[in-house]
Amino acid sequence: MLNSPLHIVILESSKIIFEGLYSILYQSDIHCRVYRVENIDELSDMLKTENINIIIANPMHFVNRDKEIKKIKKEFPSLSIVGIDFGIMQKAVTETNAAFTLYDTPEHIIHLISRMDSRNKSLSKNNDDNDNLTKREIEVLTCIVNGKLNKEIAEELNISIHTVVRHRKNITTKTGIRSQSGLTIYAISKKIVEIEDIEI
Amino acid sequence: MHHFTATKMSSSMKMADQIDANPRLLLMLQHFNIDFRVSDLTVSQLCKQYDISEALFVDIANLYNGFGTKKDQAYTKKDLLQVIDFLKNSHHYYRSDMYPQINSYILMLQKNHPEREIKLLEKFFNEYFTEVLEHLDYEDNVAFPYFIKLLKDSREDSAREQFSSIEYSEHHTDIELKLHDLKNLLLKYVNIESDLDLRRKLFFALYELEYDLFVHSLIEETILIPSGVNIEKKENA
Repeated sequence: MLNSPLHIVILESSKIIFEGLYSILYQSDIHCRVYRVENIDELSDMLKTENINIIIANPMHFVNRDKEIKKIKKEFPSLSIVGIDFGIMQKAVTETNAAFTLYDTPEHIIHLISRMDSRNKSLSKNNDDNDNLTKREIEVLTCIVNGKLNKEIAEELNISIHTVVRHRKNITTKTGIRSQSGLTIYAISKKIVEIEDIEI
Repeated sequence: MHHFTATKMSSSMKMADQIDANPRLLLMLQHFNIDFRVSDLTVSQLCKQYDISEALFVDIANLYNGFGTKKDQAYTKKDLLQVIDFLKNSHHYYRSDMYPQINSYILMLQKNHPEREIKLLEKFFNEYFTEVLEHLDYEDNVAFPYFIKLLKDSREDSAREQFSSIEYSEHHTDIELKLHDLKNLLLKYVNIESDLDLRRKLFFALYELEYDLFVHSLIEETILIPSGVNIEKKENA
């Protein structure tokens, strides 16, 4: 997943602070997309539509919203929250995974945020989208390309239908291709099947 | 040089600034039948001039800006009829603008690269396009007329029995899936030599289409269907 951008949302009502963080992030080596929200409700909306990895938040917004925070944390367990420490609210800062102050150097802030990134990666390691298919998956893929149904694949390879379905899922996760005709083109590009074998 | 930083729209903002922040809003204006020359009008003035509900306009704009809509917004029947017009206009854009454009790029690609692999890609796209057309036809001929009837005549429910909003949401197939496959195949797997200009145009078109389809289904799922279900509930009560 090295090339997929980190989706960062900044929860901060001050435009000046937002713009500052925004330019620090975009000038850094972190490959990211940055969004802005101004309150918890907008944040919850955004979490539903975008695949957010990190929240950078002014903890002021967490005051008296414990229930919402808890819900967000439960619903998106891999989400990291980085707090902006204004030095006035110890309790709110404890809701976060890390914190920095506005007087920290950009390097420090970037370092902190990249650490959150690697934390996410170790949590979801099995989602690594390396498209190296196993030998079995290649056999299943070849059957799919030849238009065989799950039942036929199971019989041919002497495995259960349940296992076929699992292999299919893995193939889709690894390749990012979901349709049968898309997988056919994939198999040809990867020279898993010969193009001459395919009817056009 | 600037990055797009779409913020949440509110009705007191100038429309021209909003377009500057997110040019995809131009497409939204077109779907609303609003001219691109928006002068110095605020969102609110623009809506008044074109007789479009401000709340609806802002909600849809915010979907384009990457924000969700509030739950259980109360839209009027007039708003929902405008939503349907909006969706119909976007169908027109898919059918007579985007898909022919993408198709022509793929045909050119195939002409420049006679490999059979590209031929397969074209076949893939054509099959996909046929599915999309079927889906659009279904919405134009079955789903939208149903909603219009539901919104216009309140009690005379003669042609009601074979359809409901829930059924529509079930039928609502995921036409984004194959588009996603096509993009991934071109980005990751299919080997095409040079021809970067043409391929870039193809990519840009695919991304533009993908984004509009994404917002399109959000409008159906978060605005049209919930409102339809609400009206049905009220009338069956």
